[in-house]
Amino acid sequence: MSLIQLLINTVALGAAYALVALGFVWVLNATAAVNFSHGDLVMAGGFATLALAGWLAPLMPGGVPGLVLLPLVVIAMAGVGLLVSLLAYFPLKDRPPVAVFISTIALGIVLANGATALFGAEPRATPPLLQSGFLELGGVIVGRQALAVIVVAALLIAGQHVLFAHTQLGRKLRATAQDRAMAAALGIPVTLMIALTFALATALAGAAGLLLSHSFFVTPSDGLNYMIKAYIAVTIGGWGSLLGAVAGAFLIASFDVFLPGLPALVPALGALPGADWLFSQTVASIVLYVLLLAILVLRPHGLFGEAVQRRA
Amino acid sequence: MAAWLRSGIRLPLALGIALLVAYPLVFGSAYHLRVLTVAGIYALMVLGYHFIFGHAGALALTQGAFFGLGAYVTGILGSQLAWSFPATFALSIALPVVLAALIALPVLRLESHYFALATLGIAQVLLLIAIKWEGLTGGPNGLSGVPPVVLFGAVLPNGWPMLLLVWGVVAAGAALAWQITRGLTGRAFHLMRDNPLAAQAVGLDIGRLRLAALLLGAGYAGAAGALYVHTLRIISTEVLEFPVMVACLTMAVVGGRTRVAGAILGAVLLVHLPEWLRFLDRYYLIAYGALLLLMIVIAPFGLIGALERWRTRRWPEPAPTPPAPLPLRRPQLRAVDRGTKLLEARGISQRFGGVRALNAIDLTVGHGEIVGLIGPNGSGKTTLVNVVTGVYRPDAGAVVLAGQAITGHAVHAIARAGIARTFQTLNLVDDMTVLDAVAVARRGKTRRGTPRITLARAHGEAIALLGELGIAEHATRRCGGLAQGVKRRVEIARALALEPRLLLLDEPAAGLNPTEQRDLAARLRTLAAGGLSLLVIEHNMAFLMPLATRMVCLDHGQVIAEGSPDTIRRDARVIEAYLGAEARSA
Repeated sequence: MSLIQLLINTVALGAAYALVALGFVWVLNATAAVNFSHGDLVMAGGFATLALAGWLAPLMPGGVPGLVLLPLVVIAMAGVGLLVSLLAYFPLKDRPPVAVFISTIALGIVLANGATALFGAEPRATPPLLQSGFLELGGVIVGRQALAVIVVAALLIAGQHVLFAHTQLGRKLRATAQDRAMAAALGIPVTLMIALTFALATALAGAAGLLLSHSFFVTPSDGLNYMIKAYIAVTIGGWGSLLGAVAGAFLIASFDVFLPGLPALVPALGALPGADWLFSQTVASIVLYVLLLAILVLRPHGLFGEAVQRRA
Repeated sequence: MAAWLRSGIRLPLALGIALLVAYPLVFGSAYHLRVLTVAGIYALMVLGYHFIFGHAGALALTQGAFFGLGAYVTGILGSQLAWSFPATFALSIALPVVLAALIALPVLRLESHYFALATLGIAQVLLLIAIKWEGLTGGPNGLSGVPPVVLFGAVLPNGWPMLLLVWGVVAAGAALAWQITRGLTGRAFHLMRDNPLAAQAVGLDIGRLRLAALLLGAGYAGAAGALYVHTLRIISTEVLEFPVMVACLTMAVVGGRTRVAGAILGAVLLVHLPEWLRFLDRYYLIAYGALLLLMIVIAPFGLIGALERWRTRRWPEPAPTPPAPLPLRRPQLRAVDRGTKLLEARGISQRFGGVRALNAIDLTVGHGEIVGLIGPNGSGKTTLVNVVTGVYRPDAGAVVLAGQAITGHAVHAIARAGIARTFQTLNLVDDMTVLDAVAVARRGKTRRGTPRITLARAHGEAIALLGELGIAEHATRRCGGLAQGVKRRVEIARALALEPRLLLLDEPAAGLNPTEQRDLAARLRTLAAGGLSLLVIEHNMAFLMPLATRMVCLDHGQVIAEGSPDTIRRDARVIEAYLGAEARSA
């Protein structure tokens, strides 16, 4: 595998993780609470894709491409997001944030076990966005899915940027995230905006589930892994910072891709004793967690400081 | 006896214990005994989790990892090296405690969401190591051949012997947890989890309390993990996986996170839930999550908490008789010391970003003096109090109390050194009684080499202080239901419980009616006459002018005037600062 291939895989994975992390940050900013079911919502997006593909299969005998499913998944998951806010956030909005942390853990259990009951515990793959297989670009072999993921994720990230930066609705959402009391005083329907934030965040998580579950499969127990990744991305990138979350997502993706990919890049490393053991996903995760702990020890407010201002 | 049983929720608790004892006697099958044994093991883990999650109020996600570590210690040493039970059991408790101590330093100072993530990360690292280090742990396949418990030469197989051992340990653990948390320490945890700043201001070292809670919890979890592998007789990475942590959290939330009975009830209920929900088939785990969600929404204090609240609402008990007052003996100020410097702050500067909140401020308070600190809003009065009490570390300058430099010392250390304070915005915990709110400040006052102050004695001392402030009749009420004026005086009583040399009052007259204001002023004068020094921030000049012996006026972070109340009243710069330049020319 060449360096360029690794880079493309990293960008594809990072872009998908960025969608996950962005949704996590939006809810965090709007509610000051951690939505611990966010990773399970990514998983749910993967299974929603599978279910929709199953339903549409009679209409498209050649297999339903992910690109067709994407808008449907996004809409369905937005609905799920509203449900999440109704069940796990609004009943607890006046309690300490830790209550929402626990209620969303509970919701995650429901989602993961619901998926097991409906789809079984075996790994499943979602359809590719257009086609699977490889493509030769200027002498380099690249995966079609990886390229498609990059394009789709970039469009979604750009879309959410336009929404938040250039529309009236986006301004209201941002005002709610920055200062709920002030937004309410200005006549912004804060409750509606928070519900919409959950819908948007969950739609992004669902889209990420669709993008990730083709190459990496989806199992009901995937939620925790995605949750931790998003949580770490946001912590490294600066609690509450959007740009930081995206940067953190790419950093984590490069860990996931590069460390296990090193022997393919540098064959001498693969020949070392214990190379299989060292250059594995498990060790990459251990290194990532230890790095995270080191960052928290040295910089208790994240690598780039906090974007959320606390009131004294 | 009958009256004792009728108070609180003792009757249902006694009934619950009877049911718990009757259960294995009635359903005595090997299967039922095993399920109940596992319930006891979880109860032990949850009892430990109560310290850090319930009492200290920190969402630690390491309890499952401590449990798994304890399990692996016993699993590996027992099955591979055939170590004896006493040795493996002791190490299963010790190693998680050592791990907790190692992670405590970096992790405990993190704030809630980082703390949760960091603890989750540590738990995941442990799991991944167990998966990866196959030579030691057997990897995902695990290890078999874990021996049963052998105690004094007798083998304790599963069934009644193991059940009795496990529940014996649970009983001991429950007694210990109850003993630790029932007195002043339990009150200290309560104040600390609901209001960390107020806790520090009454001299509680919250870092130490959190550490103790984490270590205790780790020990309980390690013991539970050891008993778990002795029951299962095999070990696999399952003991370190997240579902164990989630189960522990769920049990704590469902049962009630600060009540010993809650830990046991939560564990027994949730271990049996799969049995009772068997009709739901593969959907039962969904019900498990739904139950957790439902409980956190409708019963935030868990089943035991809900039961306690229901009892109080349905059959309110007569208010308990307040204890007999035990007045504190305050050392009288020697005549020669009167007026000499007690507090000296020199050249204090404090910036917040580009804002210069305090600019080279000098302030002294003499023994027995009542210094009034005035100034327009935003002039730096509260910031100055926060610097003196250690909440902020000043950018420049020194704070000296009775000849000892205290600049930059911890808030609780300064409180213990003799500076007590009240807050501009009230910092009382709504569901604590007035008596407890004041008594908790006595916890740090135990002198070296003397027995720790008991709750009963602290209550007696608290009621004496409440009497001094004229609010003794509110002693058994909860702080949340008090009038503003009473709350202010409860805060003053709490500050006085520290036996301070200097008392800082931030707007004590706010919310008081004129009669209460006169009453408070008279009581403060009495305290000062007894030798206590006071620094009073106040906008209410009718209250402050007759009270203060000297006044200091701040504006834009600088001292603009200082002197007797009469001088200050006529000082042109003070008038300008308050009313603007136009007022002077008019």
